[in-house]
Amino acid sequence: MTALGGTPAVALALAALGLVDSAFSGFRAYAGRDARIRKHRAVARASLRGLAVGSVLLLAPVLTACGVVLTAADRDRTYATLTEGGIGYLAPLACYASAVLLSLAAYFFLPFRASTLAVVAGLGPLTLLRPLVIAAACVGSFVRGGGVASLLVGTVAGAAVLCVEPLVHRHWYSAALRSDPTPASVPAGA
Amino acid sequence: MPHLEISDLITATDPHSGARLPVRRDEVIRRLHEAGDRRGARIVEALPADRQGVLDPAAVDRLMIDVHTELQRLSEELRIGERLVHVLGPLFDAIRATAVSAGGGTPLRLVDIGSGLGYVIRWLAAHGALGPDVELVGVDLDSALVGEAGRLARAEGLDCRFVHGNAFDLPEAATVYVSTGVLHHFRGPDLAEFFRAQAASPALAFCHFDIAATRLAPVGAWVFHRARMRHPLGRHDGVASARRAHTDETLLHAAAAPGMRPLLYEPRGLANPFCTTLRPVLGVRPELEAPLRRAMGRAARRLVGPEQLGGAPR
Ligand SMILES: C[S@@+](CC[C@H](N)C(=O)[O-])C[C@H]1O[C@@H](n2cnc3c(N)ncnc32)[C@H](O)[C@@H]1O
Repeated sequence: MTALGGTPAVALALAALGLVDSAFSGFRAYAGRDARIRKHRAVARASLRGLAVGSVLLLAPVLTACGVVLTAADRDRTYATLTEGGIGYLAPLACYASAVLLSLAAYFFLPFRASTLAVVAGLGPLTLLRPLVIAAACVGSFVRGGGVASLLVGTVAGAAVLCVEPLVHRHWYSAALRSDPTPASVPAGA
Repeated sequence: MPHLEISDLITATDPHSGARLPVRRDEVIRRLHEAGDRRGARIVEALPADRQGVLDPAAVDRLMIDVHTELQRLSEELRIGERLVHVLGPLFDAIRATAVSAGGGTPLRLVDIGSGLGYVIRWLAAHGALGPDVELVGVDLDSALVGEAGRLARAEGLDCRFVHGNAFDLPEAATVYVSTGVLHHFRGPDLAEFFRAQAASPALAFCHFDIAATRLAPVGAWVFHRARMRHPLGRHDGVASARRAHTDETLLHAAAAPGMRPLLYEPRGLANPFCTTLRPVLGVRPELEAPLRRAMGRAARRLVGPEQLGGAPR
């Protein structure tokens, strides 16, 4: 991929990963806070909340990148450097996303014994690895030739995605969601 | 050094009257220090207490509900409901197919001992997983958890109920007793007594799921609780419970109560340590074993008695 020609694709891929990650962060902020059995709508709502918060926070790296390009002496070169950095940033994230996807597929489509493996050996550890993967992405952007400019944009992007879960959690889910104890919610005969 | 779980120490209930007893914070801290558990002691130091140093019962109740709500996420991810049905489905089929169940059309009843927030019972009710002829009841010693389990069930209109009671003095008769994640709380003679009480009742079987004592269990529990639970108490107790898990031999020995045939499903030697995070020890009336094996089909290979376990690799 030539640096300039590939810019929109790299930017799009990074944005897509960031937004998908935000939706998952929203889910994680909610999970473990609601003990009902049927909660598809609540899960969808939490994911949308994550997506909304992520969309706003991800403006920070976009604005940082714009600022870096606009203030550079040689804008074309800086643009190309950022693209190289973007490719370096994407590589560890793409590996991580593939592992998550694979684990999720195993979790949802395999029988319960194999799905336990997907959770215990896959999804659980992968959640803990998230900050390290972002650090690896930052290193990747630098090593690939993105320089300090890419490192800066990458760090801002990383901080933004890591903030989604705590923000959603603090705003909507800091207390366990207790069921409504009012008699109106008690169905007849229950 | 004994591994202690904080949730066992911060609540105390009179086993006879069921009344809540006051718990002194410094006493809990002392016990944790004695067990060499400084981290656990620090978690308890942060809990609110009154001027006399007695833990605030309302705060403890809220904490227990919050921690169990988080704990439920693990049960959801590990598909505990499906895991239970995998064994309980054939078990109830065997009971229905056997003459012993012909007790004049009496309804079948499943009682979950130490049901906590009642996830298992509510999941079974929500999915109608065992059939409409099985009554679903949860029993727990912690009245705050019982109250919340009942409220959750009502909020979703689920056909099940929850009662306050002690595993050693069960208030509810059952066709089958089950539990999940409770066995490791019972140590020494209590473990055998737990099974004996059920064997002495009219129940036809018990089926108790607990963490398999593999070498990976404490590491897996650490990763899993670290990744999934926020409250330090939940993380602490999650790892402690994996460390306290009983061995296959201990469970089979304890489950060998008079009148019950003890069986272990997926013992260590037969299963991948990742996949067997939770598996049951069963006791069935001897006449139920053959129909149960038939109802389980190929999965019956994984069901072993004490005689087979003796030769199985550890
Ligand atoms: C680790 S929790 C498991 C809760 C639930 N079964 C689950 O899987 O989420 C252990 C439960 O056992 C209950 N328990 C402990 N000792 C008990 C006893 N003697 N009788 C009844 N319940 C007991 C506790 O109150 C707690 O809710």
